[in-house]
Amino acid sequence: MQSKPTGFTNPWLHLGLSIAFVTIYEVLLKLGAAETAHLSDRWSWTGLTGLASPYVWVAIVFVILSLITWLHVLRHIPLSIAFPISQVVHALVPLGSWLVLGESITSLRGCGIGLVLFGLAVVAKPVARFEERL
Amino acid sequence: MTAISFAIVLIALIGHVAGELVLKKAMDASNSAGFRSRRFVVPFSAGILLMTVQFFLGLGLLQRYDLSFIYPFQGLSVILITIAAAVLLREKLTLQLILGSALISVGVVLVSTS
Repeated sequence: MQSKPTGFTNPWLHLGLSIAFVTIYEVLLKLGAAETAHLSDRWSWTGLTGLASPYVWVAIVFVILSLITWLHVLRHIPLSIAFPISQVVHALVPLGSWLVLGESITSLRGCGIGLVLFGLAVVAKPVARFEERL
Repeated sequence: MTAISFAIVLIALIGHVAGELVLKKAMDASNSAGFRSRRFVVPFSAGILLMTVQFFLGLGLLQRYDLSFIYPFQGLSVILITIAAAVLLREKLTLQLILGSALISVGVVLVSTS
């Protein structure tokens, strides 16, 4: 086991960055996919027609950034801990859409966000134990 | 949803799970064997390939269906990846990790379908 990385190489910082980049590219991809939905019936199943949208190209930059930060996370944190935490995007995207775009959150969706956050709280205990070992 | 769309959803899901696993294997190898070792390069290339394939398949699905229809399948990836990491990568699973992952999975499905 190598020494505990700190400062900018801290894997938990990169996990946070990765989550932010994923949130950004998911919104951009949806915008890009909506823009290119009816370009070609023949090739649309491959998703490649999405490349006609500039949103998709900017999204790809964020995909690459999220992948680089995610790879750094994988060097130091077990997948079974890092991946569940990364799923907080599923709470952040609807919350962000509510705050920024004024989209409404149904009660069922509110329950889903609550469950994701509760699940994260449950995962937090094994994380604390893993940190002690690091 | 047609049979071919369902097949593409499944392939994208399996590609995602497999991609995460081989990338984790590659990064573990980079810690012990460095970035020039075959033990890093082979799984890393496979991981990037799998991620690229599932990225474009997912984009194709987004063009055809609402986000809310595609995302419940992503919820499944949480519990699948956690279990696969334990079985294939021998990561230590605790009851809390399994419980937390299951809760997050259900939460993601609820967020997506509502």
